[in-house]
Amino acid sequence: MLTRGPAKRVMIFLNEDTRHHMTPLHDAVMTYLMHKGVAGATATRGYSGFGGHHTLHTPKIEVLAEHLPIRIEFVETAEKVEEVLPTLYEMVTDGMIEVQDTTVVKLARTAGVREPVLPHQRHEGPAKLLRVFLGEADQWHGEPLYDAIVKQLRMMEIAGATVYRGILGYGAKGHQHKRSFWHPMRDLPVMISVIDTAPKIAEAAEAIEAMLEDGLIVTSEVEMVRLVRSGPATEAADVPGTVR
Amino acid sequence: MSQEQSAKLLRIHISEADRHQGRPLYEALVEKCRELKISGATVFRGLEGYGETAGMHKPHLMRHDQPIVIAIVDSAENIARLMQAAGEMVDTGVMAVSEVRARRVQKKAADQGGIDG
Repeated sequence: MLTRGPAKRVMIFLNEDTRHHMTPLHDAVMTYLMHKGVAGATATRGYSGFGGHHTLHTPKIEVLAEHLPIRIEFVETAEKVEEVLPTLYEMVTDGMIEVQDTTVVKLARTAGVREPVLPHQRHEGPAKLLRVFLGEADQWHGEPLYDAIVKQLRMMEIAGATVYRGILGYGAKGHQHKRSFWHPMRDLPVMISVIDTAPKIAEAAEAIEAMLEDGLIVTSEVEMVRLVRSGPATEAADVPGTVR
Repeated sequence: MSQEQSAKLLRIHISEADRHQGRPLYEALVEKCRELKISGATVFRGLEGYGETAGMHKPHLMRHDQPIVIAIVDSAENIARLMQAAGEMVDTGVMAVSEVRARRVQKKAADQGGIDG
């Protein structure tokens, strides 16, 4: 099962009209990949190209407008690639196969049909609570810092974060944060609280510290009881932010 | 990486309607924190809650009586000093202290010593 992290990208360069038994080779390859349960594959047609035969195939010249290039690419785990590669090697009688190391950053798909509601799963155990104190007006590359931090945490698959806006406060910068009738422009205090396991919180603290210009990071020990709606059995393994 | 040190986190739970000498209690408490040279204080307004008086604190069109939490992070001695002073000001409320590890981030100016600087 393809997950976030290191993976392999396979590219197969073919001719449009190379045949495999009775079907076009690119169709046969795509059918084979789907049959083997590869996470996903895309076939694209090139505009022009040349290969081993050193003839430029281009749609501009009618005589040469055949053998146009087709590229099939897919990303899968190293094991899966190893599994399908021997057959692909056998199938590609005219073309090229290339494998690269790659990194999967995000795997997402929108739920098609509504899953039946299942009972909660209960995760219990010691965890860490991290609180970041900052100002609402703090910026990070042109966007609100609290927004940027939450996005960063989400990308790191931290279990969850909540942003609170205070109504009054003072701190590192020494000035009072308060909204008044005459000063609707605000720099109110903001606190972000994050709960996850100790190693994840350590990771999060590092990332937040790199982004924070001026503020306070506080961590404490907590007992966590986390209720997660369990998805269907096949997806339970990769629910984003599952405590590992 | 900046220095991480052990500190205390104090949370004072009160009501927005609480008053101290004619002004909102939370304002008076923040003022007291400044007076005692506490490194920082943040006031949060809750959406809804209940407490000692068993009356529901809910937002109302005219009346503001929502729950208030003041969070303060500082060294153990400073928190003890503050609790002494705050105890005299708070009429009905809860003060909760927890053990934390604090990391002060200040990149612009040179660090002015610990969190109680």
